[in-house]
Amino acid sequence: MAETEAKSADQASVEMIEKAAAEGVETVFDRALKMKPCPIGAEGSCCKNCGMGPCRVQAPRKEGAVRPTGVCGATAETISARNFARMVAGGAAAHGDHARGVAELFLATAKGEVSDFEIKDEQKLYQLAMDFGVEIGNRDLKDIAIDVGEIAMAEFGRQEGEILFAKRAPLKRQELWRETGTMPRGIDREVVEIMHRTHIGVDQDYKSILKAAARCSLSDGWGGSMISTELQDIMFGDPVPVAGQINLGVLKEDHVNIIVHGHEPLLPEMLVVAAQDPEMRKYAESKGAKGINLAGMCCSANEILMRHGIPVAGNFLQQELAIITGAVEAMTVDVQCEMQSLVNVARCYHTKLITTDPRAHIEGAMHIEFEEHEALNIAKRILREAIDNFPNRRAQVQIPSQSIDTVVGFSHETINYLLGGLYRASYRPLNDNIINGRIRGIAGVVGCNNARTLHDDAHLKMILELIGNDVIVLTTGCSAMAAGKYGLLTPEAAHKYAGEGLASVCEAVGIPPVLHMGSCVDNSRILMAATAVVKDGGLGDDISDLPAAGAAPEWMSEKAISIGQYFVASGVYTVFGVTWPTLGSDEVTRELFEGFDEIFKGRWDFEQDPVKAAGKMIEHIDKKRKALGIDKKRERVLYDMAKRRELEAA
Amino acid sequence: MKEKVEERVSFDGKKVKILGGIYEEGKPESPFQWRKKLRSREEMLAYLKTGERYWFSDEWYGSEKRKTPA
Repeated sequence: MAETEAKSADQASVEMIEKAAAEGVETVFDRALKMKPCPIGAEGSCCKNCGMGPCRVQAPRKEGAVRPTGVCGATAETISARNFARMVAGGAAAHGDHARGVAELFLATAKGEVSDFEIKDEQKLYQLAMDFGVEIGNRDLKDIAIDVGEIAMAEFGRQEGEILFAKRAPLKRQELWRETGTMPRGIDREVVEIMHRTHIGVDQDYKSILKAAARCSLSDGWGGSMISTELQDIMFGDPVPVAGQINLGVLKEDHVNIIVHGHEPLLPEMLVVAAQDPEMRKYAESKGAKGINLAGMCCSANEILMRHGIPVAGNFLQQELAIITGAVEAMTVDVQCEMQSLVNVARCYHTKLITTDPRAHIEGAMHIEFEEHEALNIAKRILREAIDNFPNRRAQVQIPSQSIDTVVGFSHETINYLLGGLYRASYRPLNDNIINGRIRGIAGVVGCNNARTLHDDAHLKMILELIGNDVIVLTTGCSAMAAGKYGLLTPEAAHKYAGEGLASVCEAVGIPPVLHMGSCVDNSRILMAATAVVKDGGLGDDISDLPAAGAAPEWMSEKAISIGQYFVASGVYTVFGVTWPTLGSDEVTRELFEGFDEIFKGRWDFEQDPVKAAGKMIEHIDKKRKALGIDKKRERVLYDMAKRRELEAA
Repeated sequence: MKEKVEERVSFDGKKVKILGGIYEEGKPESPFQWRKKLRSREEMLAYLKTGERYWFSDEWYGSEKRKTPA
């Protein structure tokens, strides 16, 4: 009992972990206890990039000791930097490939080749057209969309020049990227180059490898991720404030429960449409169910929560637990963060695990491929599979009671609107309140769950510490869901948990102190919000000048490393928790934690204690406030004529 | 709607009574579709030039005013 409580900060999860133990079902929490991480790999000192290895090369901690190398002569620094760069490339590839799928569908939609998708957000299309230099005039919407789609597609194979969205960044930041040679040339090219540089016998200067990793990450944040976000917004709608519910308690015992798990919103969007079809509902009733209940998991959940208010069953470490309720008829998975163990867990119950993406099969799972030309029919086929499975429930159904309200949908456009209204949309009120000290600064708290640490705990402790100290939090991904489960995504949370200054601003605007900005690819929205704050004026002229910091206190995926790296390369102080993948080399770690500050005016940090990490973020925010001269209250001076003359003379 | 009066501390440290929040109780039934307020292409483009001026204004760049546009 005490053991299960030490696995999650979320009571609903604890309940399901206990149920799993009672029913003899193994979960990720059990495996994490059984299998300790390899200490050599954990610190990035293992190189298996060729057939002469794997080589375990740990840098000696003693001064003057012999420094071992790999068989090829690669130093600990080279190996550590290579491993780190490959993590960045893995993350950037995942986001880039997600974006490619979205761009292909967008173009097919624009050309009228698929009938089940549409251009829902006309204004967002114009936004991209203006970004890409596409003529709008009186042209047909379809033609504008085709041009936008073709330009977006070309970004992946771009070989030279600069990725187009880089020009959205503050001017000073763009200059810095050009000066440091880190401006990305194309989305795919940067990933390929990292894989080449880290091959045996290529780039063997750790600083050079790390700089290339930074460029690769920028092709994710200002490239792949941004393209995903923007094109999804056009097809499915730019997020606006919407209420939703979160946690395992959203499952309904008397309904057919389908969980959409993964990252790409293409099929989930169709499932939303199909689930509302009266014919499908009737079919569900014919099998004894009261209706169809669609719920999300991971970033697919964030996507449909943000746009439709579809309830969220949970985050990364809750995927097995949802099945363990015994109430899930089907779980669809597309790409990223799906555990292979879902097959075994599903076998213990009646749940059908359905893979839907050609790039992500799971041995033992049913495969129903998502095909854009047949999108709605495929969605209905999946629903029928789930409905047919409803009478097959065999285990005891136990759904935790926990579910809680959230308010989500804070795209950067929506924040801009909420702060100023239709005719005066502006980040000015936010800047003013940062300048006057009501809001101390901005923090992005994002990232995954990690079974090596108490589920959700670090996210909550960090966020509570930040908002309690008047730092407004922008959140995405599994971190956003952790915040939601604790009730931090409601306007009422400001009064309950935030410092007086932040609470007063949240109250005036009517927003939560923690703003849910979407899925992991939607971290690009945070880049845009930060840029808007810079451009509005009064807080410096680059992202690195802002009193802002970023964090992923429970990270685990390569995507998180890529995201963290593009924030650092965009000028943000970024602190990660749990573990750090370059601890085997002091030189590499120093370069990331200190050297990058000189290059990018943003740097990495590592702190396992979430409260201490929040303290470091606040310290950084205060340092930036001081640099801007807004660290102390100014005396109000009433200027008389003599003083005015002095001013004019100066 | 009944006015709510709250006690707060003003900037000079004195306790003052102010009007509290005025809003309708309850939960929103549907998303707040503010973007639907913009109906025509002209309105949308005009909004982009003003509301999204950080990227689309011809002459106003905020902190980047008087600098060469990107």
